[in-house]
Amino acid sequence: MVAVLLIIVPLGLAFAMPLFNFVSKRIAAYLPIAAMVCNLILSILLLPSVMENTRIVILGGLPPPLGIHLVAGPLGVGLSGLISLVGLAVSIYAWGYIKQGAQDKYHALYLLLLSGATGAVLTGDLFNLFVFYEILCISSYALVAYLGDRNGVESAVKYLIQGSVGSGLILVGIAILYGMFGTLNMAQIAIHIDNVDSPALFLALVLLVTGFGVEAAIFPLNAWLPDAHSSAPSSISAILSGIAIKVGIYAVARVLFTIFGVAVVFQYVLLLGLATLLIGEICAFSQDNIKRMLAYSSVGQVGLIVFAMCIATPDGVGAGLLQLVSHALSKAVLFLGVGYLVARSGSMSLSSLNGIGKRMPVVCFACVVAAFSLVGLPPFVGFAGKFLIVRAALAGKSIFFTVLIGIVFLATVVEGAYFFRMVQTLYFKDAKRQIEYKKVPASASIPIMALVVFIVALGVYPDVLLPYLKSAAADLLNKAGYIKEVLG
Amino acid sequence: MTLGLLLIVAFGGALLVYLPGKISSKLRDVWAVLVALAVLLGTATFYGKSVHDALSYQFLGLPLVLRTNDLSWFFAIAISGVGSFSIIFSLSYIKNRERTDFYYSLMLLINASMLGIVFAGDLLSFYVFWEIMSWATFLLISYNRGNALPAGMKYIVMSMTGSAAYLVAALSLYAKYSTLTFSAISTQITTASPGFTSFILILGFMVFGIKNALVPFHTWLPDAHSEAPSPFSAVLSGILIKMGTYGFILFLYVLVGFHQFSQLAWKAVSLQSVLCWLGAITIVIPTFIALMQDDAKRLLAWHSIGQIGYIILGIAYGTSLGVAGGAFHVLNHATFKALLFLCVGAVEYRTGGVRDLNSLGGLMRRMPITFIGALIGAFGIIGMPLTNGFVSKWLIYKTLILNQDPFLAFAALLGTWGTLLSFYKFLHNIFLGQLPEKYKDLKKAPTSMQIPILLYSGIIVLFGVLPGIPLKIIAGFVTSFGLTPLNVNLWGIVSETGTLNTINLSMAVVSAFFAAWVVFAFSRRSVPTTAQDTYAAGASIPRDKYQYSVEFYNPLYRMMGRYLRDVVDEFYGWLARVTQMTGEIVRRLYTGDARDYVLYIVLIVAASIGLKIWWPT
Repeated sequence: MVAVLLIIVPLGLAFAMPLFNFVSKRIAAYLPIAAMVCNLILSILLLPSVMENTRIVILGGLPPPLGIHLVAGPLGVGLSGLISLVGLAVSIYAWGYIKQGAQDKYHALYLLLLSGATGAVLTGDLFNLFVFYEILCISSYALVAYLGDRNGVESAVKYLIQGSVGSGLILVGIAILYGMFGTLNMAQIAIHIDNVDSPALFLALVLLVTGFGVEAAIFPLNAWLPDAHSSAPSSISAILSGIAIKVGIYAVARVLFTIFGVAVVFQYVLLLGLATLLIGEICAFSQDNIKRMLAYSSVGQVGLIVFAMCIATPDGVGAGLLQLVSHALSKAVLFLGVGYLVARSGSMSLSSLNGIGKRMPVVCFACVVAAFSLVGLPPFVGFAGKFLIVRAALAGKSIFFTVLIGIVFLATVVEGAYFFRMVQTLYFKDAKRQIEYKKVPASASIPIMALVVFIVALGVYPDVLLPYLKSAAADLLNKAGYIKEVLG
Repeated sequence: MTLGLLLIVAFGGALLVYLPGKISSKLRDVWAVLVALAVLLGTATFYGKSVHDALSYQFLGLPLVLRTNDLSWFFAIAISGVGSFSIIFSLSYIKNRERTDFYYSLMLLINASMLGIVFAGDLLSFYVFWEIMSWATFLLISYNRGNALPAGMKYIVMSMTGSAAYLVAALSLYAKYSTLTFSAISTQITTASPGFTSFILILGFMVFGIKNALVPFHTWLPDAHSEAPSPFSAVLSGILIKMGTYGFILFLYVLVGFHQFSQLAWKAVSLQSVLCWLGAITIVIPTFIALMQDDAKRLLAWHSIGQIGYIILGIAYGTSLGVAGGAFHVLNHATFKALLFLCVGAVEYRTGGVRDLNSLGGLMRRMPITFIGALIGAFGIIGMPLTNGFVSKWLIYKTLILNQDPFLAFAALLGTWGTLLSFYKFLHNIFLGQLPEKYKDLKKAPTSMQIPILLYSGIIVLFGVLPGIPLKIIAGFVTSFGLTPLNVNLWGIVSETGTLNTINLSMAVVSAFFAAWVVFAFSRRSVPTTAQDTYAAGASIPRDKYQYSVEFYNPLYRMMGRYLRDVVDEFYGWLARVTQMTGEIVRRLYTGDARDYVLYIVLIVAASIGLKIWWPT
């Protein structure tokens, strides 16, 4: 039953926000922190036990085929742990960073976003997945527009339009599946799906993957991302890049591997992932706006994760998951750090950050570590991710994959080029004018440095994650195992 | 002392520089020197030992191995030697600059990671250290700002390309043999198909060629070496690029084995001859490009490429004499090139950053120790008898002549002529000729700069007179590669085809010098005249306007300059511009219009369904 708390706590606190406001306006900023601490502890406590066997939590007293249930497997609990870790860092950051606008609404929406994300990775029901996914999306539309400036509202509307089209597709896809199988339970659908051969089934697959692909930012469904991530407040950019798109990837992977499991489609999505990677990195390379650069880099990284997962071997999926963790940590650090860099220099243009490393050493150091990690340099966690991806891709000894890895590395070199350029800008360029120096508050530097510690620690000793990655990959890839765990 | 402990000292010492740096800069300097010397001593204790330690720490479930043998030790002692000399030199060179903690920390970190590379016993730990070295080097190249920034970018982009090739090679080996340790791979690879071995080796050539600045992968080097702070240029040119050489030796002789390598061929073209010819091209063209340089450090940088050509030629040639020559040249180049960079660094330090050969001159009397250092370094790189450069070049020439390869031998000789010409220019334009008015009161180089300069000069002469000291170790690892053993003694190499005896040689050179001295001492004394008399026939020259070392070799330059363009560099520049332009074009996909974006979503659905219809499986 503990797994329910993972969703209930943030959701409940979000809705209780107005009540707390009667007591004091200042409580609002502490609620996300409390909720995330709670979730983090719960996830850590749950993780060892769900490693052994998946826990099924039945909601409303009806057993799986009829009622809605949560599946607390290694993947779900692991991801909820990641969500609460990054969520915690960002909520501490936001405590000092969000000083304008309706703060209580910000924190309520933020909690909704996180409960949507946690719910989506834990549920075992396709429609329920859609509902949580919508909670996540709708709160992120609102949060992108939080500052109320022209850019923010414009990108939020664009995001909303594309997101709604995606949601519509998902809904049609779910309807088709429900019409065919009469159930919305993912394991139930998975059992029956192999016995049916119908064009409608393929249509459902396409609609679901495309729909979730919008949030997962797979090319060419990702056009909302650069705008939304760059014009949102930096704390929200961090959570969108770090967590929200990962939920999209999770949903795509769940649909692809667990529900459908059609090998032909893997290769197709793999190529889409590769295109996403290449296009994202190349676009990031020609950006001068630092937040847009980071946003495009997220596109590229998502492409890499999708590529790795669609290798569709346990090693490949595990590598993709490690890359997912690495990207969540590093990109969160970068967006959080850049938030203050941009706030101090007053412009998002890369050239306005010339030589800022001397003025804001802690934040810049953190950004450099995160950038190195994203490029995949040892001893940071990104290296372990990239290493595993290449190992998984080459394990088949096929020439096809060797060529694909060549393209992946082409993208990596481009990625490295703009990140190293960023490092030079921060440290080795002469500041054009004196930047007014104001110390970064501890509410920013503490969460950033904490995430940096994770990046380095996991980079030096990634083996601690290996068992989890292995069982999480099995959770995703082993269809029969998943059905057995859920339906008994 | 174990290898693990040595690396912990090296890395720990590098990262902890910031602590004493917070207290005082004096303490930090002492700390940096102590760490460098401790690492040097620690490395020295492994002399002649052969260790193979599997670490208890695993990375991603893969065992990590540290090992040392003659080959590793040979490189390791050169690394820690060059590293600690450069640290000592930095004491005054870097004193009044900003971010000195950062500088020392990275110098020591690069040192430590290079030690890690040569002590690594498996492809994964090799790669980890390799990458740490690469990004740390990038940061230190960028240290000087200004022009150093594009130089750093060029370096890191090429280096990342190399790393990518390395990972593909290493993990292809892993996919086939499920291991990454050198010893396990080398026993299993003997059964591999020639295609697979060639694939691995060609990737290896790319990785190590880039770091080693082998033509056509050399273009990062002239910029990076000239823009880096001089003591670091010494490390960079002296030993860091030799990590590429180590990699070549590792892949060719330790992993694959020379026998298998020499069999690889595509029709009549063997992989070995390709590598030899690349070496020869690397000797000739860069050396003559160096001749045209007016920036002292750029001149030295281009010569680094040229000297690398000798090393690769020797190593790729694959006879025991050739490999010994190549390996010895690694050490020799480390000493004389580091020495030359330090000398330029000292001049730069005293003149306020001037290294333009057209505006210096006559510093011999102002900076005598530096001059002697530069002279010995120049003798070394040219390969004069009495210096170590002579011995290694002798070994390489000997190999080429013995095996009747006149074209390669000619290329090697041509390189030496070019070297001779450009180092005449180098010495003349800095130390001889006229002293510009503004440098009249120039002081000598500080002691902390003179110490490494004198030490290097001593080593160059010592190994020139008694080459047996390093050759003994080299002969050890050459034999372990399965090549014919070398008969080495203290003063050279004994063989049936010709014996090298440096003692006799030295006696001859010394007596020739003595004879010349006698002739000059007893002949009529020369009369010193002013420059006006000699060059202006007594007419008066406005002071300080007259500088006869400007545009040295100008006619030669006009003749050859057209052909000595760095075509490869232009090609890479074009490639970078194309990437940038592609980015601009691809970006237009994101039109900013939400209608287009929705269209994309609909299109991808349609395309997926279409694909399914046209391509049913």
